[in-house]
Amino acid sequence: MSRPIRVLLAKAGLDGHDRGVKVVAAMLRDAGMHVVYLGIHRSSPAIASAAVQEGVDVIGLSSLGGTHLAHAREIMERMREVGLGDVPVVLGGTVPVEDIPALEALGVRAVLRPGSARDEIVGTIREAAEAARRD
Amino acid sequence: MSDSDLSRALEQAYSEAAERNETWSGLPCREFYGPEHVADIDYSTALGDPGTYPYTRGVHANMYRGRLWTRREVCGFGSGRDTNERMRFQVGSGVSGLSVIDDNNGSLCIDADHPQGVAEAGVQGVSVSSLADFEALFDDIPIDRVSVAFDISGLDSIAWMALYVALAERRGIDPAALRGTVQNDTLHFQFCGYGDSCPVDLGLKASVDIIEFCTRRMPRWYTGNVNMYDLREQGLDAPQEIAFGFGNAIEYTERAIARGLTADQFAPRRGFYCSCHIDFFEEIAKLRAARRMWARIMRERFQAADPRSQQFRFGVHTAGVSLTAPQPLNNAIRVAYEALAAVLAGAQSIHCCSYDEPIGLPTEASQQLAIRTQQVLAYETGVTRVADPLGGSYYVEALTARIEAEAARILETIGAQGGMAAAIRSGWVQREIDAAIVRRQQEIERNEKIVVGVNALRQPRETATPGGVHRPPSGQGERLAEAVRRLRATRDAGAVRRALRALRECAGRGEKENLLPVMVQAAAAYATVGEMLGVVRQAHGLGYDPLGVLEAPRDLAA
Repeated sequence: MSRPIRVLLAKAGLDGHDRGVKVVAAMLRDAGMHVVYLGIHRSSPAIASAAVQEGVDVIGLSSLGGTHLAHAREIMERMREVGLGDVPVVLGGTVPVEDIPALEALGVRAVLRPGSARDEIVGTIREAAEAARRD
Repeated sequence: MSDSDLSRALEQAYSEAAERNETWSGLPCREFYGPEHVADIDYSTALGDPGTYPYTRGVHANMYRGRLWTRREVCGFGSGRDTNERMRFQVGSGVSGLSVIDDNNGSLCIDADHPQGVAEAGVQGVSVSSLADFEALFDDIPIDRVSVAFDISGLDSIAWMALYVALAERRGIDPAALRGTVQNDTLHFQFCGYGDSCPVDLGLKASVDIIEFCTRRMPRWYTGNVNMYDLREQGLDAPQEIAFGFGNAIEYTERAIARGLTADQFAPRRGFYCSCHIDFFEEIAKLRAARRMWARIMRERFQAADPRSQQFRFGVHTAGVSLTAPQPLNNAIRVAYEALAAVLAGAQSIHCCSYDEPIGLPTEASQQLAIRTQQVLAYETGVTRVADPLGGSYYVEALTARIEAEAARILETIGAQGGMAAAIRSGWVQREIDAAIVRRQQEIERNEKIVVGVNALRQPRETATPGGVHRPPSGQGERLAEAVRRLRATRDAGAVRRALRALRECAGRGEKENLLPVMVQAAAAYATVGEMLGVVRQAHGLGYDPLGVLEAPRDLAA
């Protein structure tokens, strides 16, 4: 049996709404994944270096502050700088559907909108991790 | 659909029964209630007429005949000037009170030019780094005549009070003339995602400084609204909302008394900010129970004799967490029911959520609809005619008593731990909240609670946001950051340095030394919020920057 999928969860930016990311962390753990949740108010460089240290398969970003585009751009850049440009990033939160193409253009692999069910959340993370392992 | 499928579907829908026999919070309910279920509720001691102790039926005898509730919509985005314009638009739409919220930088007490703050500046609220921003925010607004609510709770509360007093003094206005409210509930910040910026002890000290300063010098100002709403949004249930909120309120009351005030000196100018969630009768019962409990706590525990000290006055924020991103227009309906419950419960002030809240920041049109929701309620439905219209309902009275008993039980648990500050430090509060977060999700997944559009009556997801999306203008953060950099370069550096050193010395003189008078001087010298709170943090043995990125400016090094 392969080792469990390792996921880094972080809040993107300074918004403090962390109820959603805690629910997601619990869901992923229930699904047998190894989850590291960094907590609130971590900078982009801090998220990137945690990704290096933890050797994660996938990164999940939570944004409920309306700043998802700016923060996704910055985090994707930092990830490339530390050589993790190929680690898939999934973003969830209060994201208008209109912004999904722009996030995908930045390299975000998938966007989970509010109201997403457990299966969709776990499935999206699993798929992202497995695709990256195959590459 | 085949003929037999169609008839089966119809038959099933026709015979559908209410599935849930418990309230949202899990309190079991009977099929109906009668006199025997309220037999032990004595009218004169447990209810009383509206306007009389223990105020279960409302804090005013004539309720909305005396004055309608304040129709506010929280406002704040971009620069001070942007928000000033939006407030004018709101006044044109018929709001009756102004309410301003700051951005994430403000909540954390960092300035717009902080390396982690540029992208956040002006997004979730107005960007305020210094008095210059307040001058734009209140440009041409007669602050000696209008009441303004500051919807802010962390250490930014004391900074905003300093800025507001400095602004008044600059305009030649006696601070005693200022009317408004600052939320000033630093404790609730511990579990709403901003705890790292507002340590428990420093937060409590700053909160009490505001209570003391305003009690002595700004007698018309409300010194705090205990924020039960944000607690409820975390997933807590109705009795927990009361108990945790009252736990915080008791903590502030005890500390203010320890500072040398009597309850009757400051309690008449305190209030509460509550959720009104989707379970209609439970929310009404919750707010009625809270009124009865608070009156008794103030009279029996704190010997408050002034009726205004005993009155539980509250604003309501309809429950953002009850709204859904799928089928977002349904949210307008949820908000209307929640606002109706708030009015039937006797709210003093209401903020209606915009239907697009789960998707993003409100557009002008969605905010307009939220205001109109209140106005239809106020002017058309007739619910304003009679105080406490549900008082005496067997069901509502029984539920009110049930919620009160449950909340009192939790409050006792908090008391047994040494009060709320101690329960926060021990991690008990966070554990309760984390358990609630998981429980709420399970209820939806197991279909124990129906949420239309989420676990029932689903449709394909929207491919466009109805009504469009509000987006901050591009380059906004950089412009706001640049304005702060310009301010730093052009202000009187010597005056700022002297004022900040004085503030740090003041902060080092201990718990009872009120920071506000000295902070007003620093604000008047255009010291920034980040600098003012930075030196206060240093004096309390904390890092200058709550995010641990910036060093104190060299000429300020301790």
